[in-house]
This record gives sequence, structure tokens and C-alpha cells, in this order.
Amino acid sequence: MLFIDLLQSIADGLLFGATYSLIGIGFTLVFGVMHKINMAYAAASVAGAYAGLTLLKLAGLPPLLVIIMACLAGAVFGLLTYVLCFWLIPLSHPLATLMSTVGMLLLIDEIVVHLTAGMPVNYPTVMGGMVSLGSFLLRGDLMFIFTIAVLAMAALMYLIYRTRLGLATRAVSQQPVAAQLCGMRLGQVNALTFTISGALGGIAGSLIGSAVGLLSPLLIAPLTVKGLIVTVIGGLGSIPGAIIAGLLVGAAENVFQFVRGVTERDIYVMLLLFVFLVFRPGGILGADPGRN
Amino acid sequence: MLQVSDVETAYGKIKALKGVSLSAAKGRITCLLGPNGAGKTTLMYTIAGILRPLRGSIRLDGQEIAGLTSAAIVSRGLALVPENRLVFPQMSVKENLEAGAYRRKDAAGIAEDIARMYARFPRLQERREQLAGTLSGGEQQMLAVARALMSRPRILLMDEPSLGLAPMIVEEVFSIIKSLNRDGVTIFLVEQNAHMALGVAHHFYLMEQGRVTFSGEPGKLAEDEVIQRAYLGTRRASA
Ligand SMILES: Nc1ncnc2c1ncn2[C@@H]1O[C@H](COP(=O)(O)OP(=O)(O)OP(=O)(O)O)[C@@H](O)[C@H]1O
Ligand SMILES: [Mg+2]
Repeated sequence: MLFIDLLQSIADGLLFGATYSLIGIGFTLVFGVMHKINMAYAAASVAGAYAGLTLLKLAGLPPLLVIIMACLAGAVFGLLTYVLCFWLIPLSHPLATLMSTVGMLLLIDEIVVHLTAGMPVNYPTVMGGMVSLGSFLLRGDLMFIFTIAVLAMAALMYLIYRTRLGLATRAVSQQPVAAQLCGMRLGQVNALTFTISGALGGIAGSLIGSAVGLLSPLLIAPLTVKGLIVTVIGGLGSIPGAIIAGLLVGAAENVFQFVRGVTERDIYVMLLLFVFLVFRPGGILGADPGRN
Repeated sequence: MLQVSDVETAYGKIKALKGVSLSAAKGRITCLLGPNGAGKTTLMYTIAGILRPLRGSIRLDGQEIAGLTSAAIVSRGLALVPENRLVFPQMSVKENLEAGAYRRKDAAGIAEDIARMYARFPRLQERREQLAGTLSGGEQQMLAVARALMSRPRILLMDEPSLGLAPMIVEEVFSIIKSLNRDGVTIFLVEQNAHMALGVAHHFYLMEQGRVTFSGEPGKLAEDEVIQRAYLGTRRASA
């Protein structure tokens, strides 16, 4: 029975981990084109989930559409982050944009706490029942989350590998001078990348909200940390790496929770990060510059 | 066709170009020689809109292009094959060519031009699905030239296309330059390989320490003197 339970917790973790994959992709996309870390990303994603819920209620739409609303709101927050934290700030100073995004992270957190009086809000759950798969029982809501996350990733892959704008995004991240010589505009590609990563973040935020059943500003800090962990484990700049690492971290944290309990869970997640930093600092799929 | 007058460009407080004036005539091959650090690449990047000049004017067919974005400059028919080729390493050969046509909207024309590039550079066709980063140096140079041509430039700037290539490949690169020029493309070429460059150029300039110090036609004057100055940067009484 214990073994089945362990498998069960791995399966649940893998399904939920798809949301971490989305957050990891968001960090990685921005790093790919700008070589900067956007520390405000997970906060903006949670804010997108809140704004999506608000929009849903204002427009009186069915609960399922909360994901689309959060996606739109996330896109707007992504673009806003770009303008405030990157476009307005000289990029030549290496610490300036890091500090501006940390500031934005704290600002978003304060605004959310202020607007919700620090109380969690209920979030619509989708497909609450269980789905049986052979001898397995899978949570319907986690299956749903996983499906939506995979669809979002497929849409992203299509955008990046099959469209003209995707070509520009890859060109800028691989060779920015040559990209400009081909007539691509760095500012435009950067803004687009932030908008897309923001949209993915909004989707991830709303999926997390619907899996947990509520949203709370307390989600912001752990999600920021886990997003960064996923990015490091996957390899900075690698989208497939972020996908794999997200699932891995989701599964690992559920196993840690199963074995050691919820209070110790994140201790082991952090240890996992250090194991990777020591033995595989470039991540699973990132370019490994080797150790010196 | 291209007129550069009194252009100054700086990195921070250090001026790399100290008032450069030169021109490239339509239908011709103009060559810029000069020792390492003379400012040749800086000038190419300034003309192509990657760097902004502090002052001076750059005219393409009489229209001012100094200070425009590189996107606007490519659209006006000027393309640069950059030093060190700068292909997109994680993209296929075909995608590199598509990137070169980024400002164009005519899908049919783009497909036609890709076919034309494959005809001109058969080795690119053989490797069209291969990642550009895995091509040899010579193949990457061909790709960089083909990518620049995909924007259908009227004038093509090339920054040291022979850099790091075996002599046979260098010959090939120069025969491509000549054939492009025969097809009506104006060429403005930066070279360290003065001997080869002077073999194809109609007119040449010598640049030293951010200034044009000599200008002339190959053959007329003592080539040895020019080559020696281009390579060694020796400062003598002006020729
Ligand atoms: N990014 C930069 N930042 C600061 N200084 C630079 C930069 N790029 C070039 N320089 C300086 O500007 C001057 C001109 O450099 P540039 O690359 O234009 O020379 P070049 O003639 O192309 O040389 P080479 O033949 O070696 O390619 C040099 O003194 C160089 O050190
Ligand atoms: Mg140079």
C-alpha cells in the first residue's frame, strides 16, 4: 500500500509540476533574450491570477474562463514589468534591473496584501472529481491543470519555432547584433518576450489557484523560489530543460512531503537545488561552461 | 552611393572614429584597409546602425541614414556581413536565410531568393537543415553572405570576410565578391588581406587610428607601401 501511495504522490507531483514548468519557462525566456533575471515574475503571475478572477467576476463569465482572463492580465503585467523595470532603466548597469525587479516583486506583494486585506480568496476549481486510470486514481483537477499547461507549452513552441516573431526571438537570444543587422528590433522582441512570458505566468498562477482552491499572497515567495530552482535545474535559457525540471521539482517536492511531511518539504527542495549547483551548475540541458 | 562625412563614434569617452570621410561608388568595389584597432569594424557598425555616431553624416543615395535604427537601414537596401560572421548557431541554415529576409513580406519572393542562394552556394543547400553553429568556418562565411543578400541589398558591406579561412576558401570568397559585383551589387569591403583585396577593388582607403590616411586606386601607387602600413601600422610621412 505504501508503494502505491508513493507512486500516487509522484503522479500528483508530476501533474502539478507542469505549473512550475510554466514559471520556469517564463524566467528562461526572458533570460534568453535579455540575459537578465526578472525577479518579479512569479509575483506578477500571482497578480495575474488575482486580476483574472476579478475580471471574471466583473464580466460575469463562467468559472472555466478564469484561465483566459488570467492569461490576458498576466500578459499586461508582463509588458508592464518590461516597461517599468527594463525599458526605463539603463541596461548597462548589471545590478540596476535586478534591483528594479526585486522592487517590483515587493511592490506587487504589498499591493496584493493591501487589496485583499491579507486574506486568501477562494478560487474556482475545475473538475474536482477523481479520474481512474487502471489501478490509479488521479485527481481530476490536477489532470486538468496538466492538460492546460501542456497546451500552453505547445502553443509557445509553435510560436517560437514556427512563426516570424518566434524566429526573431530566437535570433535575438542567439546573436543580438546579427539579429539587428537582419532588421529585428531589440526593444520590440524584448517587449514581446515579456508579454508572452507574462501570459504563461498568468495561466500558471490561475492553475495553481484552482488546484489549491484559493489564492494568497503567501504563494508569491515560494513560487518565486521554485521558479528560480526550476530555471537553474533546467539550465538557464533552455525551454525543454525548464519543462523537465518543473515536472521533476513538482514530483520531488510531493515525495518529500509524503516521506517527511509538509513542514520539512521545502528544506529538501532547497537541498536538491544545492546538489544541482554543485554537480551540474549549468542545469540538465543548459550549456555547461564547466567548472573552474 | 554611400557617403560618409566627418563621422565620429566613441565607446564611452574613447573616440574610435575621429572624423572619417569616405565614399563608395555605385556598382563598384570599394575597399577599406587598416591595421588592427584602426576602427574599421566601428565604422561598419556605425554605417549599419548598430552604433550611433556622435557627429557626422552618412548618406545612402543622398538620404541621411546616420542615427536611424539598423532595421530602417536594412529596409533602405544596405546590408552588412559582420566580422566573425555571427550566424545564428542554434538555427538551421534555412532559418538563418529566413532571418535575413526578416523585413520582407513577400513570401513567394523570399522562397525564390532562398532557392537562388542555394544555387549560388550549393554547399548551403546540402546542409540546409543543419544547425549553423556546426558548419565549417568557410560555410559559415557563405551563410553570412547569403543571409545578408536575403534582404536584397543594393549595397553590401563586408567586414573581413576572409578572416580565419584557408587560402582556397579565401579565393572562393573573393570570387563570390566579384560575381556579386558583376550582378550589380555595390560592395564596400573591409580587409586585412590587402593583397587579395587590392586585386578586386576599384578604389581603396587606408585607415589608421580612427582616421582615413590614404585613398587611391590599386596599382597606381606603391602597393607595398600601402600593404606595409595596413599590416604593420607603421607611421611614415604621408604617401
Ligand atoms: N565594445 C568596445 N568597447 C570599447 N572599445 C572598443 C569596443 N570595440 C572596439 N573598441 C576599440 O575601438 C578601436 C577600434 O576598434 P575596431 O574593432 O573598430 O578596429 P578594427 O579596425 O576593426 O580592428 P580589427 O582589424 O582588429 O578588426 C580599438 O581601439 C578598440 O579597442
Ligand atoms: Mg574589425
